[in-house]
Amino acid sequence: MATQAVERAGPVVSGNIGAVRWRRRRALNAWGWRAFLAIVGLMLFGPLVILVLFSFNDSNVLAFPLEGVTTKWYSEALTDPVLRKALANSFSVAFIVAPLCLVLGTLAAFGLTRFRFRGRGVIGGLVGAPLVLPWLIIGIAALMGYARADIDLSLKTVIATQTVCTFPLVTAIVAAQLFRFQKVQEEAAIDLGCSRIQVLRHIILPHIGPALAAAAIFAFAWSFNNYEISAFTLGFQQTFPVWVYSSVRNPDHTAIVNAISALISVGQVALIWFALKLMRIRTGDKATTEMIAGTEAVAAAAKT
Amino acid sequence: MATVGDTLGYGSESRTADPGSGRGGRKRSGRGAFGILFAPVTLLVVLFLVPFLIMVQMSVVAFPPNVESGYTLDHYVEVLTNPLNPGIAWTTFTIATTAMIAMLLVAIPLAYFMVFKAGKWELFLLLALVLADELAPVVKVYAWQVILGRNGILNWLIPGPPVEWLLYSSFAVILTLATTYITYTTIPIYAAMKAIEPATFEAATDLGAGWWQQARKILIPLAAPGIFVAMILVYIPMLTDFVTSDIVGGTGSYMMGQRVRDLILGQGDWGAGSALNFLLLAMAVLLSLGAYRLAKLNRIEA
Repeated sequence: MATQAVERAGPVVSGNIGAVRWRRRRALNAWGWRAFLAIVGLMLFGPLVILVLFSFNDSNVLAFPLEGVTTKWYSEALTDPVLRKALANSFSVAFIVAPLCLVLGTLAAFGLTRFRFRGRGVIGGLVGAPLVLPWLIIGIAALMGYARADIDLSLKTVIATQTVCTFPLVTAIVAAQLFRFQKVQEEAAIDLGCSRIQVLRHIILPHIGPALAAAAIFAFAWSFNNYEISAFTLGFQQTFPVWVYSSVRNPDHTAIVNAISALISVGQVALIWFALKLMRIRTGDKATTEMIAGTEAVAAAAKT
Repeated sequence: MATVGDTLGYGSESRTADPGSGRGGRKRSGRGAFGILFAPVTLLVVLFLVPFLIMVQMSVVAFPPNVESGYTLDHYVEVLTNPLNPGIAWTTFTIATTAMIAMLLVAIPLAYFMVFKAGKWELFLLLALVLADELAPVVKVYAWQVILGRNGILNWLIPGPPVEWLLYSSFAVILTLATTYITYTTIPIYAAMKAIEPATFEAATDLGAGWWQQARKILIPLAAPGIFVAMILVYIPMLTDFVTSDIVGGTGSYMMGQRVRDLILGQGDWGAGSALNFLLLAMAVLLSLGAYRLAKLNRIEA
């Protein structure tokens, strides 16, 4: 770390080390960091690469080296009726949960940031609680709640519980953004004769637009990827993560699991990457960095 | 639980830069807030709070689980005295702690690199971390099974007979947990380090401090609140994780989350299941409150 600071200050302070030694140490340091980042990258994205590799493997056995290239697992995966149903279920759940969360989460964010009232802390705590508590605990409580109310488990119960556990994430993201710009701007606009609608259109939406987009993506991904809540509140249907879970120990399914997992993961990576890039173009590097750091610090309270 | 909202940032009065300008002139009535918050809060109460109360009730209702059977603390006694549970708790604790240490060893240098060394790559690394986190956890864990298996890529690379303990072992669970939660460990530390003035390191270098001295005397103490928050926030989900140990774990890595799940879905023992679940919940709440106190020590202005 000594040399890193030297690097910052330039060779002037390094007079006592000597220019050649200084340069050598700096190069060594750079290679050390590169190796470290490569290992981290491998840990994070290596599994995904392996999945994609295996999905093109001609053999049904998960073993290296690979035996020839094929795309038959993809076509087999996409024609498997059980898997297709699971995927359709996951997509329809996520397509209902994400917009619901966006509306509920934004409402809660406005209520909590733009109004002062008694009991605001309690309501803030209630909204924050689903983010902090593990999904296992929430799922079990939901299961018991539905049993007590004599409600049959189905996709509807999954949607209900997922919505309640995911909209606080939207609230956190949007509230963080609402905090960042001052309420004065809204008030100035009103004083200058803007209507409520105009304030919403010209002041609020441009400010929280990127946050809303990020929140929608996160909510969709959370819902689509969720296993824990689905496992406890699902009836006889399956969602995609539940299907993967039940197929993992089944050797006949291995190749199909690889293919569909690779496909879904690559799709998700592309989608999220594209969305984040778009956000960066719209809002600039600094704002994006701040928003992601803020969002993730909040999401850190939650779980994968 | 009111404090949880504060942790998330929307409950704290001190966040607004100038309290006077933030909510001066026009005061909006509580009735407006009621209208806006009615739908989200009602849903939370009906679908989140009430189920929790039912779960707590289940944990003190005698068998068979309905209200007429009367109340008892037997489930808690059973959970606390069952000879299996201390072992499972210990396994869970050691696995979560080891994974935590491994993550810190990666997250602290990574956060340091992102803040002070990455330059224009900072945002790229941040996006990559977020991206890695948004992949389906079940799929990620499954991919590790493919890598660590008897015929997997690691055993193919390592010469000699296949190494058996790579998969279906505590090692596999720790490795997979560490890679799953690394995003949530790195980001709070990153946020804490963002507040450190880079000139501090230059001054230390000028005064002749080596990298280890700088890390120990400057970096770690100043990033400590972020490190504590990361530790506690990642600990809670790891203690209740059952997906990871289900897929890549073995008999030696049977964890608390699996135990609760098996009690409820497997054995149908709702009493003991809810009692154990409630104990986990209490632990999660205590840890969250601890995280909140620590977060308050070093609030970073956005």
